[in-house]
Amino acid sequence: MTEEQLRELCAQPAPGEEAAGERSLGAVQAAYASREPGRARRRLPIRAALVLAACAAVAAVAVTPPGRAVLGRLRDAVGRERVTPSRPALVSLPAPGRLLVLSARGPWVVRQDGSKRLLGAYEDASWSPHGLFVVATRGRSLVALTPAGVIRWSLSRKPVSRPRWSPDGFRIAYRSGTNLRVVAGDGTEDRLIAQRVTHTPPAWRPGARHVLAFVDRLGSLHVVDTDSTEELWVTEAVPGTRQPTWSADGKLLAVLTGDNIVRLFHAGGGLIQALALPSGVASDLSFAPVDRSFAVALFRPATRRSIVVVGDADTVGIRRLFGGGGRLRGLTWSPDGRWLLLAWPAADQLIFVRVADRKVVAVSNVAREFDPGGIGPVAFPRLAGWCCPQGSGLPPG
Amino acid sequence: MAGYGRDERAWVRGAQAGSASDLEALFRAHWPRAYRAAYLVVHDAAAAEDIAQEAFLAAVRALDRFDRRRPFGPWLHRIVVNRAVDWARARALRREVAGDALEGEPALAPAPAGDAAGLASRLAELPPDQRAVIVLRYLLEYTPGEIADLLELPRGTVNSRLRRGLDRMAAGLEEEA
Repeated sequence: MTEEQLRELCAQPAPGEEAAGERSLGAVQAAYASREPGRARRRLPIRAALVLAACAAVAAVAVTPPGRAVLGRLRDAVGRERVTPSRPALVSLPAPGRLLVLSARGPWVVRQDGSKRLLGAYEDASWSPHGLFVVATRGRSLVALTPAGVIRWSLSRKPVSRPRWSPDGFRIAYRSGTNLRVVAGDGTEDRLIAQRVTHTPPAWRPGARHVLAFVDRLGSLHVVDTDSTEELWVTEAVPGTRQPTWSADGKLLAVLTGDNIVRLFHAGGGLIQALALPSGVASDLSFAPVDRSFAVALFRPATRRSIVVVGDADTVGIRRLFGGGGRLRGLTWSPDGRWLLLAWPAADQLIFVRVADRKVVAVSNVAREFDPGGIGPVAFPRLAGWCCPQGSGLPPG
Repeated sequence: MAGYGRDERAWVRGAQAGSASDLEALFRAHWPRAYRAAYLVVHDAAAAEDIAQEAFLAAVRALDRFDRRRPFGPWLHRIVVNRAVDWARARALRREVAGDALEGEPALAPAPAGDAAGLASRLAELPPDQRAVIVLRYLLEYTPGEIADLLELPRGTVNSRLRRGLDRMAAGLEEEA
């Protein structure tokens, strides 16, 4: 072996070099487009002076009774959460793991250090249980790919959506047309499970072998063993039934119903509790990944404000976690269950709330960050999961 | 190490001033060697892409603080090689607790053919630390002194890793023959 041979080896393109470069250029350009330009830094002293002047004015107002009243109204409008200053971009996650964010351009994987990768032009996506794969949809295609965007397999059906990977990684449930289907994790054994299901995503039961909850068009909640296609139990139809979600131990199943109630069921069937929610229209319901806490987002049309509450299925207590103008949606728990992430389109922000003490970390300019270079109005992205339990997934970057 | 001289400084200056085309030029000039360096250390195409991409993203985040008088390449290569070594070490640990087939390691990308295949597989068998110095020396063409600066190692350590790595590769190839 000579040094010349080594140099020749190093001179050869590595496998995938060019395609990887094109994909990465997009991510780098996106990061570049969303960064704070350098010129802004040089203006910092002027900005600081303006901020100081504004603070002085607020302080002066606050010492007078009318001023205190104005500040009180302002506090009511903004909310009483402990908000740290908003960050101009998503530069880090407050807890370990990686986010999956669905933008108009497709799903993005966001690492804890804030680095992002656009997976491609897909419409919907979700994580595999350990975050080693993502299942995504595009028109009639269901695609399994790595977080690096490399396609492992795909299949074609009627228009597909709402893919969800089972907790053991061996099954994927998805909606095709109005049907619910399940395919093995390697893309084989695709089969029909039910017809005429709602848009609401199905939910796999943790800790059980391929037990799936879904809602039909009439509003009945079904629980089926997808391997045998045996229906384990079904509820009577309640209009507006949606958002089935299992507790982390797989022993409780919760759904929202149109009468603004959270219905809690035993895993084996049977209603445990019907929890009336505070006033508003409930939009999102999600169990925490570690215990029996659940979060609900409520929109109040009269005031056009939303709140997020956290409940405990054991004590049946509910407490307010966060509130703001417009709608809050996309409730996403951190893998350790300590943080709840909310999408707040009206403020163009992502809100991370630490559940224990309601500490808030806000990230601004979100729509543009996930659609860099977009022209005209930019759609606010959707949250599609925060992966994964500690000790699994890819190594830190 | 051969650099891009005035072009590179102009691209960095342009990118700092907001020129997307200068950023792209900088990326295209440095991507092949950054990716190749990562690939030759980790021998996994997806991981190499992640590592090289993250190095560029780190560069974008630090762009405003970057000193234009210094070359861009060594700064980027330091990130790439250190992250690649970390990744290779982490993978070695993960293999000890490998899971089921579906959620296991992604398949390696196709290896080069012929003599290069033998060399590549011998390189892959070296410890990550030795792979890194060989890649820095023969792909990125740094001198042992520059490698020592980049990796913050004593020069003697760099020389011994180079020597041991080359000896092990040569021994492996002789056994094959």
